[in-house]
Amino acid sequence: MLGSVEQSSGAARTIVEFCRFAREKGLSAGVQETLDALNAAAALGVRNSDEMKFGLRSILCSSKDSWDLFEECFETFWRESAPRLPRRAKAPPKELASPVDGRSPTSLMSTGSGDDASSEKDGAQAVTGASARERLGQADFSTLSHSDLATLEQISLRLFKQMSRRLARRRRIATSRGQVDLRRTIHRNISRGGDPMNLRYRERKPRPHRLVTLLDISGSMSSYSLFLVKFLYALQKHFRRVDTFLFSTGLVEITSLFRAQRLQDALDALSQQPAGWSGGTDIGGSLRAFNHIHRRKLRSSDTLFVILSDGWDTGDPGVLATELYAVKRRVRRLIWLNPLLGLKDYEPIASGMSAALPHVDVFAPAHNLDSLLALEKHL
Amino acid sequence: MVLEVSRRAVEVTTMGTFQPLPSGAGNQGVDAIVSGFERLGYITDRSLATAVYLVTKLHKPILVEGHAGLGKTEVAKVLASFLGTRLIRLQCYEGLDVNSAVYEWNYQKQLLAIKIEEGSDKTVEEKERHIFSPEFLLERPLLQSILVEDASPVLLIDEIDRADEAFEAFLLELLSDYQITIPEMGTIHAKHVPYVVLTSNRSRDLGDALKRRCLYQWIDYPTLEKEMRIVRTRLPRIEEDLARQVVGYVQAVRQLSLSKPPGVAETLDCAEALLTLGVPKLNQEAIEQTLGCISKSVEDGAKIRTAGVERFLAG
Repeated sequence: MLGSVEQSSGAARTIVEFCRFAREKGLSAGVQETLDALNAAAALGVRNSDEMKFGLRSILCSSKDSWDLFEECFETFWRESAPRLPRRAKAPPKELASPVDGRSPTSLMSTGSGDDASSEKDGAQAVTGASARERLGQADFSTLSHSDLATLEQISLRLFKQMSRRLARRRRIATSRGQVDLRRTIHRNISRGGDPMNLRYRERKPRPHRLVTLLDISGSMSSYSLFLVKFLYALQKHFRRVDTFLFSTGLVEITSLFRAQRLQDALDALSQQPAGWSGGTDIGGSLRAFNHIHRRKLRSSDTLFVILSDGWDTGDPGVLATELYAVKRRVRRLIWLNPLLGLKDYEPIASGMSAALPHVDVFAPAHNLDSLLALEKHL
Repeated sequence: MVLEVSRRAVEVTTMGTFQPLPSGAGNQGVDAIVSGFERLGYITDRSLATAVYLVTKLHKPILVEGHAGLGKTEVAKVLASFLGTRLIRLQCYEGLDVNSAVYEWNYQKQLLAIKIEEGSDKTVEEKERHIFSPEFLLERPLLQSILVEDASPVLLIDEIDRADEAFEAFLLELLSDYQITIPEMGTIHAKHVPYVVLTSNRSRDLGDALKRRCLYQWIDYPTLEKEMRIVRTRLPRIEEDLARQVVGYVQAVRQLSLSKPPGVAETLDCAEALLTLGVPKLNQEAIEQTLGCISKSVEDGAKIRTAGVERFLAG
């Protein structure tokens, strides 16, 4: 198929170079994609640069992000090499790439195959991941350096996913048998002449509880909020229904932001929310607002209610206790996660916290990765 | 029974609208798609047309992403009628399994057959072969798509992001070899490799493996001019002025950061509603009457109202 490109091998060369350039820029332009690009060029004819661009874009992109990245990539490449195109394309890759990212030609060459390069990179990440996991698992979120935070973020995303998957695979003892699975039943009974003597059943996959979460985003929690949000995001996947709220001085529902979007979209949308990130705290008032508007979301049989807060409350502890009790009566389990619990000498004596404690089923720390992962047993 | 691969020439002359794509000259091929799609009532741009052209040339699946109501699904439908082939559609949903996507045995019929043959002197093997023959096989969309006899069909896998990851992995297998294995019957190869169109609303990230196998196309909100052409094409009865007002109004609403910004489908709904109501000119009352076409939630409706209707009427 490449034969038809041969007469314009200069153009073919340019395309290969462009693919290499795109790979450097972070698009997934491996060997297969490069071949596809050449085939596409042959199918499209190389004359019209617009079509060429659209064609290459549909091959080299695989998401909206890369779609946007491509635009810039294409412009840069073709602007830099425009005089040399299309016939006398002798543009050596080093000249193209080196002014952009300062890599030496040898490092360029060594990324020969996109597949190999990326798998190597993944491997390397996994190795640092293992040792960093040991080191960072115990570290308090608020004391981490910037680079550690980034590493921890990666690790935690992976572990949160694993946890979510483990939870999803849990089975419960069935009290009643499900529907008869006709397919297996028939197959099983052919040797008996087809009389369905030995029945096979199938059962609905066990569906987990509904989860209602209130996340404190007041100033005292700010160093933890980001991780807790990600933790919540990973969790919600396996619950049948998740309602998520943020509170500081007021209550904001963010369920819909979380639901139908990818994590990055969710975080972006979240940062657009006008809910005073890092303001004061009124836990009691927020809970009252919750009870007032969203009480019907609680069902005592299967609802898990999680509050993530340090308990530094500027409101009336009496209100907090009353409202929390109202919640408590309507849920199956009430979990309070407190990052401060990770501190050695912490005693829950803040007036809000001590008022709340009698109504809490599980009171657990949430200051580092390990403590979050340990929550699995309560879910 | 293994269905053998047939390499018969594609016979499509009887199918009507098929136009042989000129090979090599990509420009003309893309032009043919733009004009052909337009004739079928689908206004497209060269970006999408180029991608579709490559689908027909390279025989790779295409993944179409974009916001709701921008005609992702329509791409497959129009492609099918443009090529004059069958459209086979698989709507994905949570919990979609192989039984409803690929094939299923007709159990009731099998049970009956077993009963009927009870008295006969066939051996167990013969009976088994009989009840697992094609006669008892219910073909679901994916199997249908590789069994089509005459020409490559268009296989639309709609909202792939709703299906779970296990199904995605299964699909990967199908899309690389275009064959399906039924344990009781053997492996069935595609007679004609289908043109595959996948759509996604990006409610979750798709696997890298699947994405790498596909061409990719992002469909964005149309420009004012393009949307005008769409409205004029779909609703030839509408007055130019009214169309311009409606399109301007919807384009302004899209800037409001609603939870569900209206797509082209909503524009068309709104324009059609105005036609039906016999409103000659978009005004405050007309916007109020057709608000349900544009906003699909109470909050969004309130946002549009508070944004001030006058703003939309200006353009």
